[in-house]
Amino acid sequence: MGAFFATLRKELLLLRRDRGGLALLFLMPLVLVLVVSLVQDNVLKLTGEGSIEVLLVDRDGGPAARRLVDGLKESGAVRLVETAGDAEGEAEARRRVAVGDYPFALVIPAGLGAELERRAAALARRAFAADEAPEDDANPLELAVYFDPAVQGAFRATLVNALRRASLGLEVAEKGRQLGEVLPRQVAEQMGQALGPYRNLPGAPAPPVVTFSWQDRELLAVRTEIAAGKIVAQPDSVQQNVPAWTLFGMFFIVVPLSGSLLRERQEGTLQRLLSLPVSGLPLLGGKLAAYVLVGCAQALVMLLVGRLLLPRFGTPILQFGGDLPALILLVLACALAATGYGLLIGTLVRSYEQAAMLGPVSIVLAAALGGIMVPVYAMPPAMRSLSALSPLAWGLEGFIELFVRRGDLARIAPQLASLLVFAAGCLGLAWFVFARRRSGGR
Amino acid sequence: MTTAAGAPGELAVVARGLVKRYPGAEQPALAGLELEIRAGETFGLLGPNGAGKTTAIAILATLLRPTSGGVRLFGLDPGRRCQEVRRLIGLVPQEIALYPRLTLAENLAYFGRLHGLAGAALKTRVDECLAMVGLESQGKRRVETCSGGMKRRANLAAGLLHRPRLLFLDEPTVGIDAQSRHVIFENLERLKTEGMTVLYTTHYMEEARQLCDRIAIVDAGRVVALGTPADLLAAQPECRDLEQLFLRLTGRHLRD
Repeated sequence: MGAFFATLRKELLLLRRDRGGLALLFLMPLVLVLVVSLVQDNVLKLTGEGSIEVLLVDRDGGPAARRLVDGLKESGAVRLVETAGDAEGEAEARRRVAVGDYPFALVIPAGLGAELERRAAALARRAFAADEAPEDDANPLELAVYFDPAVQGAFRATLVNALRRASLGLEVAEKGRQLGEVLPRQVAEQMGQALGPYRNLPGAPAPPVVTFSWQDRELLAVRTEIAAGKIVAQPDSVQQNVPAWTLFGMFFIVVPLSGSLLRERQEGTLQRLLSLPVSGLPLLGGKLAAYVLVGCAQALVMLLVGRLLLPRFGTPILQFGGDLPALILLVLACALAATGYGLLIGTLVRSYEQAAMLGPVSIVLAAALGGIMVPVYAMPPAMRSLSALSPLAWGLEGFIELFVRRGDLARIAPQLASLLVFAAGCLGLAWFVFARRRSGGR
Repeated sequence: MTTAAGAPGELAVVARGLVKRYPGAEQPALAGLELEIRAGETFGLLGPNGAGKTTAIAILATLLRPTSGGVRLFGLDPGRRCQEVRRLIGLVPQEIALYPRLTLAENLAYFGRLHGLAGAALKTRVDECLAMVGLESQGKRRVETCSGGMKRRANLAAGLLHRPRLLFLDEPTVGIDAQSRHVIFENLERLKTEGMTVLYTTHYMEEARQLCDRIAIVDAGRVVALGTPADLLAAQPECRDLEQLFLRLTGRHLRD
């Protein structure tokens, strides 16, 4: 253990004296979180167009529902994924949204077409006071939209607006159709009654004026509800950006770590270390532990920024969810994955130029794919498939699960496992490359 | 921790038919190198660039495995008893193998801890080694701010922390001033009197003549001449000094 702690202490000392590295690890993500959280909300609203996936449960199945769906498709704001149009389909859609598989589910209730027709006809008749029956249908019909709380509000607004437009079109069409049927009948009937046998004489009164102001009356309303049935934290830029840019900063540990490994190789210290009567394990373990500790410190600082500093600028407070041990494990797994990746890059590269290029560029790519800059659900399907390969996506999904969906350790177990397997894979590959080079002597 | 002195006549290094081929290289770096170094001897390994000196040291210091051939250090097989062998050897690489952002004392303390030293014993030994190379007042200075000579001397001190029985010195006086070279020489002379075995590579013939009991001149991965400086010169009476002898044996063409 002496070699382990000696190496841990040495690495922490080296990192403490690396001002550029510290700025990269702590200042850069801090500035990113502050700036991006404060300005990104509007950007997200602009980037969501046409990319929102919505599970569709059509329990009506009639022509009116079809027109509504066509209207939604024409809006270009959403991509509909049809599921079974029955009670089971609705329950399944709600479950899939609740676990984060889809951001939204739209349920068209059974009997929507018939009820819409009945109400439109009643309104048309009422316009001529032909139907004296009391208004028993003042409440509009409801189209239900279930949403994942992790989905940004801008995307929810986009869907709801598109739905409102489509339903309004449907209403207008139905009202127009009913009016077309009622209007000639009512006019003829009223004129006939008023004029009797003189209705065809010159100078007879004109048909009565018909008002269409009732056409603005809403018949359909949209109801949105968190699929899981409980509100934990409002999905906002803080809940998304703080964990996202924290992860980005943690993975940037690849830069100082790969530089440190390269320096040891090029400056002969590795040669000296390998000639000592110490196995490689405590030396490697000490180095890894130092960088994992730094990664955890980064996460702590950034999460506290979201909790304490950002609210001073008027943003919502970052909510940590309810499972602190799960959060600690997730941070640890992310730090391990980042450190493992840094070790792999540091082993693969042969020059500082390669390290400076490969490390940051690969992190930016993984971040873009992982939903750090644009949420994964807002990506095109092909990119969404690729995002499943990004360790930053696993980390971010874990944080969102804990912070927004009030998940627990069991819920983030897949993300934890993926991160740990990734870390182990990187370490194994780095060890293999190192051992192979050593045996070859290059 | 080990003591430097060995039994009289004991062989510190035995290398038999060492061959090392690097992947992709046309010629082997070592092509049947044979060496025997007695305990307590200061042995010079001379050769032009690319002759195989650094590869030979890397194999003897357990950093590389030979493609073929065998090595024994104090009778131990490094392939099988690697950790035991490593306790007996010290390596002073050609590069300044120290951490630039750590102070001289922090560097030595780190390597000392890896050798199993701790507490007061570690501090005492770090102070001793710094004093040995004339850096006793510079312990708190970061390596990155030291002169080339100071770094070279500290590099030597780091190899002596655990009092090895066999010290590998790979061109320890490259690029330093006369004063620092003098300090390193003094230390090597003192280590020799203490019975430490030293394997020394250098391009400076005069250094080798002054310091080494025996010299091996290597070229193209094999030994082309072996003996005391006096014997080697006596065998080639037309050569005035070691440099002439070296050029005669290894040729005058450049080895870039």
